[in-house]
Amino acid sequence: MASNVQAQPIRADSAVAVAPVGDSSARWRRRLAYAILIAYALLMFIPFAWSLITSFKTLPDSVRLTLLPQPFTLQGWQFALTGPKPPVAQMFVNSAIIAGVVTVTNLVLGSLAGYAFARLRFPGRELLFLVVLGTLMIPDQLRLVPVYLIMNGLGLTRGVGQYLAVILVLAIGGTSIFFMRQYFLSIPRDLEEAARIDGAGFFTTFLRVMLPLAGPALAAVAILQFQGTWNGFFWPVIFLQDPDHFTVQQGLYFFRQAGGFSSNWPPLMATVVMATIPVLVLYVFFQRYFVEGIAASGVKG
Amino acid sequence: MAVMGARATRPVRIGARSEAVAGYLFIAVPMILYLVLYIVSVAVAIYVSLWRWNVRTGPTTFFGTKNYEVALADPIFIRAIQNSLYYAAIWVPLTMAVGLFLAVVVNQKIRGQTFFRAAFYFPAIASSAAITTLWIFLAAPDGFFNAVRGALGLNPFFALFGIASNQAWITNENTALNSVIVLNAWTTSGTFMLFYLASLQSISHEVYEAAAIDGANAWQTFWRVTFPLLRPGHFFVATVAIIGALQLFDQALIAGSPNGDPNNALMTMVLYLYNTAFTQLSFGRAAAVGLILFVIIFGATLIQRRIIGTTPTW
Repeated sequence: MASNVQAQPIRADSAVAVAPVGDSSARWRRRLAYAILIAYALLMFIPFAWSLITSFKTLPDSVRLTLLPQPFTLQGWQFALTGPKPPVAQMFVNSAIIAGVVTVTNLVLGSLAGYAFARLRFPGRELLFLVVLGTLMIPDQLRLVPVYLIMNGLGLTRGVGQYLAVILVLAIGGTSIFFMRQYFLSIPRDLEEAARIDGAGFFTTFLRVMLPLAGPALAAVAILQFQGTWNGFFWPVIFLQDPDHFTVQQGLYFFRQAGGFSSNWPPLMATVVMATIPVLVLYVFFQRYFVEGIAASGVKG
Repeated sequence: MAVMGARATRPVRIGARSEAVAGYLFIAVPMILYLVLYIVSVAVAIYVSLWRWNVRTGPTTFFGTKNYEVALADPIFIRAIQNSLYYAAIWVPLTMAVGLFLAVVVNQKIRGQTFFRAAFYFPAIASSAAITTLWIFLAAPDGFFNAVRGALGLNPFFALFGIASNQAWITNENTALNSVIVLNAWTTSGTFMLFYLASLQSISHEVYEAAAIDGANAWQTFWRVTFPLLRPGHFFVATVAIIGALQLFDQALIAGSPNGDPNNALMTMVLYLYNTAFTQLSFGRAAAVGLILFVIIFGATLIQRRIIGTTPTW
């Protein structure tokens, strides 16, 4: 391409996104781009909108291609909330407990370890950090058998211990440590050095000086972790075998398969809507953290 | 760290040992969990795979490599490998192409950029269980897809591909896996768009200015400049995509039950692993299957590395 430099006339207006507005071909290109964008955006929303509409329909009406439920009914919701066993409310509590605890452990353990890897010097630090990164390379599914046997050996595959098994597996993700470390690395050293010269210990320096500065990173870890755990399916399906212990996501599978709703679409769609609401609320309010958090994990690999 | 002034170094040096102790304490809990749940796990998996091992009775007979042989001779496992590889071969390039296309479009100077970015990522926030349940409804014989298709008069077109007007997309064995491919392309294209956007924004403007001076049009600029310069992005997205594709499980279990219905069309490698462990309670063989999967996934990422190029430069 470099050989073309002299042969080609200079055209500053081509190529890059910043085509001038006056150019008519550029205007058409822009219109086409908007048409594609709007069509694709609709494609993203329509299935969710359809599930919401369907949840207010009767079963015979649910297979009709009409936007307004005729008649409008709350029976689907009523049945979803009161019909199945275990009740959806209980599964919400189960999901909330697991997602809440896992979020807190990731915040606490992730910020402590992230700080240590970013700032404290100790022999073997680089090697141990490679272990952290290595955990990201090993797919969860491949650890299914040994992790189940280890939990079984610890007595955590029976009763309430099953929750503990799920929580232990998810307690600290490599991503949380990595994310916190990167953030702490970006904070200037001056502040904590001042604190240390004043005689503050390592833990005090971490807690009083560094942690208050890490608000945005903690928020990102909390939001992404809560969303990921709330949506999680694999480990709950492995460990939570008693229907009373099910999470919302397992409940959807259970209702569809084992009984309950099967093809009774309105209550099934009501449950889909309920299962999605918590993450939807998070997304609406903290969209920036999702988009930037995902993008950051992409850049860093 | 090493270039710190002598004055600053001295007070830190005195506390070197306590600093190391603090460091180890700060990372202790995660490291113990990783030791048990990753490092010990791999050793346990290898050990268990050598035995006939029922989850209730533990090890009974030493099997050597028999678990591996039995798994690889099982036509359903072979079908599972074929399904997973087929899924990866179609889904990975499809979703990468859509993700890249969206990233390039969204990266233009357009109004509502933030909105479109957020909209395209939207399906990725919902859970696999919710999305799959929703999809089962939309793809049912009397569902939304068939109704829209009929209303738009597209049935003669679909009939060319042998698709009935009341096609049961997910329970017909010819379309089940392809339906899941479309479902997951829909949910994940936005995630790949975000990955590609990050990569696009790291390309310097000067390169584009040079291309413009050379008289390259938009199409040429994309294929000769943008696409090759995105190599680190391609590398990262492809790695994530292939590993994810070969782990397909949630959607297969929810849409196809543990049997991978219809007629093993939705039997994936991980679903087979799950079945071996929890339906047949044969943990020895399941451990062997897990290790075989690891080799397959590792091999696939090596091949991918060959195709896209050597070490990434990010």
